[in-house]
Amino acid sequence: MAANTATARRTGADTNPVAAPAMMAVTLARLLQDGETVFHGVASPLPMVATLLAQRLHAPSLVYLNITGGIESRPEQLPGSTVDPRLLHGSRALVTLTDLFDLAARGRLDVAFLSGVQIDASGRINMSVIGDFARPTVRLPGGAGSAALMPSARRTILWRTKHDPRIFVERLDFITADGNVSHVVTPLCLFARRAGRLTVASLHPGVTPEMVRDATGFAVDVGPATPITPPPTERELAALAALDPGQISASEFARTAG
Amino acid sequence: MTEKTRSLAEAIAEIADGSRLAIGGNTLHRGPGAAVHEIVRQGKVRLEIVKTAGAYDVDLLCAAGCATAVAAGFVGFETPFGMAPNYRRAVEQGRVEAKEHACYTVIAGLRAAIQGVPFMPIAGMTGSDLPAARGFQTLADPYTQQAVVVIPALIPDVAIIHVHEADRQGNARIIGTRFEDVLMVQAARHVIVTTEQIVDGADFEASPESIAIAGFMVDAVVEAPHGAWPFSCARRYDYDAAYLTAYLAAATDEATLQQFIAEHLLAVPAALIEA
Repeated sequence: MAANTATARRTGADTNPVAAPAMMAVTLARLLQDGETVFHGVASPLPMVATLLAQRLHAPSLVYLNITGGIESRPEQLPGSTVDPRLLHGSRALVTLTDLFDLAARGRLDVAFLSGVQIDASGRINMSVIGDFARPTVRLPGGAGSAALMPSARRTILWRTKHDPRIFVERLDFITADGNVSHVVTPLCLFARRAGRLTVASLHPGVTPEMVRDATGFAVDVGPATPITPPPTERELAALAALDPGQISASEFARTAG
Repeated sequence: MTEKTRSLAEAIAEIADGSRLAIGGNTLHRGPGAAVHEIVRQGKVRLEIVKTAGAYDVDLLCAAGCATAVAAGFVGFETPFGMAPNYRRAVEQGRVEAKEHACYTVIAGLRAAIQGVPFMPIAGMTGSDLPAARGFQTLADPYTQQAVVVIPALIPDVAIIHVHEADRQGNARIIGTRFEDVLMVQAARHVIVTTEQIVDGADFEASPESIAIAGFMVDAVVEAPHGAWPFSCARRYDYDAAYLTAYLAAATDEATLQQFIAEHLLAVPAALIEA
């Protein structure tokens, strides 16, 4: 019975393209504190939306940083590329990517958003290869700044728009980056890293413990006592709709690459 | 003052096969598209591409057989388009070496080159397999004995960047984000600047602090209107989503890809392609 229920719910979740992006954007936004310096890199639509959403909801003094070097920009239209010149709109100062890496290096970047094609139980990521590094079966895009940022940012939040055992693995093919991961957000749950290991902090509404256990390649402690992620409030959903009318937050769900 | 204007073909002809080539811009934005296409037309080979985050430029140079190594932190077309299929295929088939960097290690290597020192210490990199895989060494800080990763100087033989305005001596204005372009210009042995338009350098005298590139570091200036295409050029034009989609559709198969390159890039005069 449990399996049938899980299957039915999972099918339901897959056929509703709006629910998961909103759930993830809101969950990511709630992890950001007012006044923090927050950075995202290339190919990061959900972190872009989540950061701007947090500014509108509870973190008006958050300092929004990205590769364009624009500081606290207020884009009129959210771009599909997260290095787009549209992200300069409203910026009153401009720094360089070098300046932003330097900021992290001296311990002054509070949050970096990163992702992994593979993620292991300690929150380490692989963005490099499947197979051998020199002659891979699959050459992946590369970790961008993650190997430098993950150990030096005060904390790293990972996100991934798919949650399956090929992504959340017991053993990485290659460790692209390791460091101060605090949370991982997926369409199924919120992981928090405690004592060096990812633990399920909460299940998103409609997700069962079995679904997360089946979808995760490493052992997870999850059960009836695991809390449910509070669903997005009307205020959060209204702010998200106003911020992202073009549903850029849903754009990653059409792609397999993280 | 030295006159540095060249035709695109003349400027690219000066790039030797086997060069280490730094390419300005980032992912879909302000790459020197016209120059990259001319490199393909001239059939350069054995290039090592240097870039923090590349997309169409790196992918095409792999597809056309021009590149045999890529030193970059990320190669992909971002969320609107996905993976870089030719880069991926070329590396998997052993035709191109992926010299993967963290973007900050590309910057560190360029900074070492700029400062005339053999290597640059950087923060981070702990726990990553990249230093071992790429041969980045760890040294003990001679003052505190703490371990630090050091990145060797990365000296490009040639840097190519695309700018909004340049004068005939190579002084150049970039509107919006400069990415790693200024570092590349300072680090490289030979610098090619392509520009939307060549302007009278006297126009720059009112605000020289807004000029990104000092002309004495530049070797060749090429007027190339729309010369970032199919990349975006801030406040001038967006990236060409339709073209990039067509390119990636053709890239699913080696035969259709080579036909696409022949039809779109080789058979057509540069002036028509970039117009």
